[in-house]
Amino acid sequence: MRIIKIILLIFFLILSFQKLLIANDNSMIIDKISKNLRCLICQGQSVYDSQSDFALSMKLLIKNKIENGESEDQIYDYLKNQYGEWIVYDPEFDKKNLILWAFPLLLFIFGGILIYKKVFIN
Amino acid sequence: MISSYIGYYSLILGFILSIILLIYSIFCFKKNNKKINQNIFSILFLQFFTVVLSFISLIYSFIVSDFTNETVYNNSHTTKPLFYKITGTWGNHEGSLLLWLLVLTLFIFLFIIFSKKQPTKYRLLSVFFQQIIICGFFLFLLSTSNPFNLLFPAPKEGLGLNPILQDPALAIHPPILYLGYVGSSIIFSASLASLIQNNINSKWAKHIKKWIQTAWFFLTIGILLGSIWAYYELGWGGFWFWDPVENVSLMPWLCLTALLHTIIVLEKRQLLKSWTLILSIATFTLSMSGTFLVRSGILNSVHTFANDPARGVFILLFLFFLIILSLILFFIYQEKEATPQKKFFLVSKETSILVNNWFMMYFLSVVLIGTTYPIFLEVMVDEKISIGPPFFNKLLIPFLTFFLIFMSLGPKLNWIKDNYKNIKYSRIGLFLICILISFYLIKNTSTEILFTSILGGAALYLLLTTIREFLVNKHNISQTISHFGFSLFVLSILLNSLFSSEISANMKIGQEVIYKKEQIKFLSLETHKKENYKSVIANFEIIDKKKNSIYLYPEIRIYNQPNILTSEADIKSTIFFDKFLVINLLKGEEIFNVRYQTKQFMIWIWISTCLISIGGILGIFKRL
Repeated sequence: MRIIKIILLIFFLILSFQKLLIANDNSMIIDKISKNLRCLICQGQSVYDSQSDFALSMKLLIKNKIENGESEDQIYDYLKNQYGEWIVYDPEFDKKNLILWAFPLLLFIFGGILIYKKVFIN
Repeated sequence: MISSYIGYYSLILGFILSIILLIYSIFCFKKNNKKINQNIFSILFLQFFTVVLSFISLIYSFIVSDFTNETVYNNSHTTKPLFYKITGTWGNHEGSLLLWLLVLTLFIFLFIIFSKKQPTKYRLLSVFFQQIIICGFFLFLLSTSNPFNLLFPAPKEGLGLNPILQDPALAIHPPILYLGYVGSSIIFSASLASLIQNNINSKWAKHIKKWIQTAWFFLTIGILLGSIWAYYELGWGGFWFWDPVENVSLMPWLCLTALLHTIIVLEKRQLLKSWTLILSIATFTLSMSGTFLVRSGILNSVHTFANDPARGVFILLFLFFLIILSLILFFIYQEKEATPQKKFFLVSKETSILVNNWFMMYFLSVVLIGTTYPIFLEVMVDEKISIGPPFFNKLLIPFLTFFLIFMSLGPKLNWIKDNYKNIKYSRIGLFLICILISFYLIKNTSTEILFTSILGGAALYLLLTTIREFLVNKHNISQTISHFGFSLFVLSILLNSLFSSEISANMKIGQEVIYKKEQIKFLSLETHKKENYKSVIANFEIIDKKKNSIYLYPEIRIYNQPNILTSEADIKSTIFFDKFLVINLLKGEEIFNVRYQTKQFMIWIWISTCLISIGGILGIFKRL
């Protein structure tokens, strides 16, 4: 009985997934991108949050680019070329940021090993 | 003028007393008396009194706008309301450090009163270590940031306080946060004293736990107040920006939370002694580095109002001194493992607390590296990168899900050894149902549906588990409330971020906009003149689907001194959502940029954080 329930659950999950992948419109993508951009003339605000001239023109730029059919990555690349990496809040995963991404994960693994040792080897 | 002298000389007196205490506590320590010499109490009280006196004289200088005092001149103005004259005392670098010092001396005084049952030598050593910190802060204050510098000739008028600091929440935010920060200094001193005395046992754990809970409570409330302030004052409707200054207050909190859990293992099973020490040292170090990072101006942040790089060097050196001192002590006195180690079992409460610590340290490392990495990168290879919400979300949220699951399982386990079989299948079923519920709630709103629904499901599961715990099993109410609060917190943040919506439009008086079946009407505009600012208040009417209308009055303030324009949002809160409206002046006088947001479950974020901290305060009063 339980197994049937679980299978039903999974089935429902997959079914609803199909619907979801379609539901995505432009304004959502614009918001998503602008949340990820630093407003360069403000202090610690994203383009999405700011109402400065810079932010407003930036939102317009993103809108135009999306309507021209450019992808998210293309827009980011364009902006990084124009303003440098400083503009995106999402740091790239590359050689210079290796420590940034790897440090917490390594620490997590290390912690896991310590706990494992404490529990199983004694 | 006179008050500056009084303040300054009482500071010097306090500093001298601090040196006397350093020597005297060691002297008493060597004498092996059974009881603490009464003189220690007297000197500690006197020292506290000198700092209070000094603080009061600074407040007085602010109240009477004594511009012969440089701090007052830089941060006050005669037209400011009395309340903000007073709170302006700690709204600046010098004053806030004096407040630090005040809390430092207050805490050691309280500590010595409330630790009567503890060994004498341990108490003396705690005084000694706390005095090292106090001494350092006195030196810092007197040498680089004297709040009582005199100006001659006295200016007629002051420069005024940054208007966004003129706010009730921000008036009490620093003192509360400092109670948390500085509370960790007592834990630090007491741990070092305990280390030297080889006194780390369950009796000590029981005694220091109250201090940990106190510091933790204030730190939580302090961070909450800062967030609430950011929500309504900074005017873009968010409450946490992963801004460096916010992060530095979160780091000691994470560390202290880990300590809060570890100390229970020490109390109940006499395990994890060294780890407890490391956490105590780390918490205080992080609090100090927080002060360093904020005050030195290294951080690029919205919150850095007063800073000076030269001062940073002093704190940094002092910080290194304290870290090295504690490390040396740690390696000299660390207990050699004479007794065979007690065993940890996989399914037991202590292991689940280890797991809590494991995740806490991971969260801490993410916040730590996310905050400091851009600084290092800029210094080392001269490249500027930004680290913002996407980074933290990516690294934190997947782990948060597992954390929530462990959180619902852990507290139910027994000490020493429990059994797998106690984890019933019905719980797994419940968990799956939770995921399904959260999936159907959010399926139309998120782009990363799988992650979000599992996270939501885990939070919901914890919520149900804690409610059940609360009904069935009443012996650990403080923990249940905190954990319940945390699950509510995650849920409300999740729902808030998924369902909130906003529109931004440029409007004139009389215009209206329709957004998601709501009518937003710009009715009128009024101008008022207050003592220290001119205010322009707009009147908006919002008519929803059911033709109910509410009125919102956002405001623009033009402060005279300093000449700054601020937007004050108007917020109407209900239990389901906040209506948030803020206006900004555009070019010309007539058109305004209007931002209207509906923020779902906003109030629950504050309520749940309050619940989390209430759990902490209940813990303090339990079995005092």
